Amino acid sequence: MREDDFLSITDLSAGYGATRVFDALNLGIGRGEFVALLGSSGCGKTTLLRSIAGFVQPSAGRITVAGRDVTALPPDRRGMALVFQSYALWPHMTVAQNIGYGLKLKGLPRAEIARRVGELEDLLGLAGLGQRKPLALSGGQRQRVALGRALAIDPQILLLDEPLSNLDARIRLKVRHDITALQKRLGITAVHVTHDREEAMVMADRIVIMNAGRIAQQGTPQEVYNRPASPFVAAFMGAENMLELSGSVGAGQVMIDAGPDNCRAVLSLDGRTLTNGAFEVRFRAEAAELLDDGPRGETLTDALELAGHVEAASYPGGAWRHSVRVGQSELLVDAPRPFERGAAVRVRIPAEKLFLFNADVASRPQTNSLHVGHKAHVLEASET
Amino acid sequence: MPKNLLGLFLVLPALAVVVLLFVVPLGASVVGAFVTGDGYGLGNFTKAFELYTSDVIFTVVIVSLSTVLIGLFSVAIGGYLTLGENPRAVAILRWLYRWPLFIPFIVVGQVLRTFLAKNGLMNNVLVAGGIITPLQAISFLDWRGIVIAFVWKQTPFVTLLVAGAMASVDRGTIEAARNLGASRLRILIEILVPQVAATLTVGLVLSFVTMMSVLSVPLMINAQSPTMLTADIAFRINAYGDYGVANALGLISLGVTACVAWFYLRHSMKEKT
Repeated sequence: MREDDFLSITDLSAGYGATRVFDALNLGIGRGEFVALLGSSGCGKTTLLRSIAGFVQPSAGRITVAGRDVTALPPDRRGMALVFQSYALWPHMTVAQNIGYGLKLKGLPRAEIARRVGELEDLLGLAGLGQRKPLALSGGQRQRVALGRALAIDPQILLLDEPLSNLDARIRLKVRHDITALQKRLGITAVHVTHDREEAMVMADRIVIMNAGRIAQQGTPQEVYNRPASPFVAAFMGAENMLELSGSVGAGQVMIDAGPDNCRAVLSLDGRTLTNGAFEVRFRAEAAELLDDGPRGETLTDALELAGHVEAASYPGGAWRHSVRVGQSELLVDAPRPFERGAAVRVRIPAEKLFLFNADVASRPQTNSLHVGHKAHVLEASET
Repeated sequence: MPKNLLGLFLVLPALAVVVLLFVVPLGASVVGAFVTGDGYGLGNFTKAFELYTSDVIFTVVIVSLSTVLIGLFSVAIGGYLTLGENPRAVAILRWLYRWPLFIPFIVVGQVLRTFLAKNGLMNNVLVAGGIITPLQAISFLDWRGIVIAFVWKQTPFVTLLVAGAMASVDRGTIEAARNLGASRLRILIEILVPQVAATLTVGLVLSFVTMMSVLSVPLMINAQSPTMLTADIAFRINAYGDYGVANALGLISLGVTACVAWFYLRHSMKEKT
């Protein structure tokens, strides 16, 4: 937790009935920061957002905005506006009425409301659509009306609940950019809930990855992508290839023992928190290189090589994706050219793209290991 | 062609029921309204308006007033069921409000007659409670009794429809309004009711038609003049065997309900465009 946090969440617990969704959760968000809460369905990210917004009453903990405790305040007294996943536009009102409703509730004069609504329509590219009903708009336009309705009341904090999940893939790419550009321009603080990794990467200054009601890791997009703190984060960030190997740690280096499918490899420890024993090895399909089979050396430095054979190849675009069998595992590896089915190959993964974890960590409850990584990355994040 | 014939054969029983039990009697009473002693004419209508104009107005006013009250109560109950924040109160109300649905009109008439009479249960309670003196006790067994009976009986029906429609409204639209600072009353009037307006109108139109056709309540509660058209129709037939005027009065009732139906249709057409 940082002292200059604008929105801070302290030891927050919430749930529905007897089900605890998250427990004693801590999170700090700086002024003007764009934070993405990333996680799969049921990880608690939406409940966290709804607690921040005031629609879920937490059972314990505190939420403060600029030092002011808002935990017990109703949703409209927190200086926040929520954009809903379904947009939740009022179908019986026109675009202008939807956007202006918050101002009408504040009792602003009609001319003032019209002026402000006009400004927002221009800002959001909705000019000329003011008299339409939401049903007569496209998905992207509805999304912008929802955004306009939220921005109209000049919130300090904008909360976005998967606002892009109902859009076509192509429009989504544009809207991502539009929202971040708008957020930066208005200097507003934003909390964005999503289950789309790429969306979080592209939009956010900081990503908070949630798993089963806990923060698995938080940091800049580069940090969580390149330095995942746990096997869960690595897998969630796309490192789906997984192997179990054994090795030892010493003198700033990791030694991976030779196995039936790999020769010995010596890698620099590079800040990894590892102990001797079984390692869980993870890497992305595009991080590895596929080579023709060749003579196996004694020891390899700064890379790991695995021997296997190609089971299938396909072309998803950009590179050829191969399914390679290495021992009992099946790995996905990209290569610029296709390899024959059945061909013997070597899979080479450079040290910096190899994620190593102690294998027993995965089977233990995740608190201990996660907090080690979590702390390290909070420090890094706060420096940015 | 056997396939077509088979289809026709299958439809025939249903068609026969509709024609024999609905179209023919309706046609007969429409035609009957124009049959006078000397051929066809408007004599029945002249007579009906001469004798019963005040009853036509009475009926329209009573049923319209009841419809308005039913609308208000059903929106209030449905709104509380949807927006209420005390789960126990909501559960009790949800359990309670449906009971009158299962009670027939004639029983409602009987119950309210013993309740609203000058020496009925309501006045007895008020006198016993020292709220009024026996001399102040008045009977509600007049137009007010009819309105109370109609509202009591029909509110649950409209509420059932309205509360169902409100429950299926996207909760996000309610939360979005709360997020911007709308009070619950504003949410009800400005967000919820407009979204269930179509269902509310259907419920009220159906209630209007139902109330137009109730005979037992006016007979039991309001045994005086002016009274409702249904009582007049029964009287024309039972006392005089005068089917002509009875049919004319029936057609006038039909005209009134048709006006309401036209209102509804015009409204729903406008919604679609």
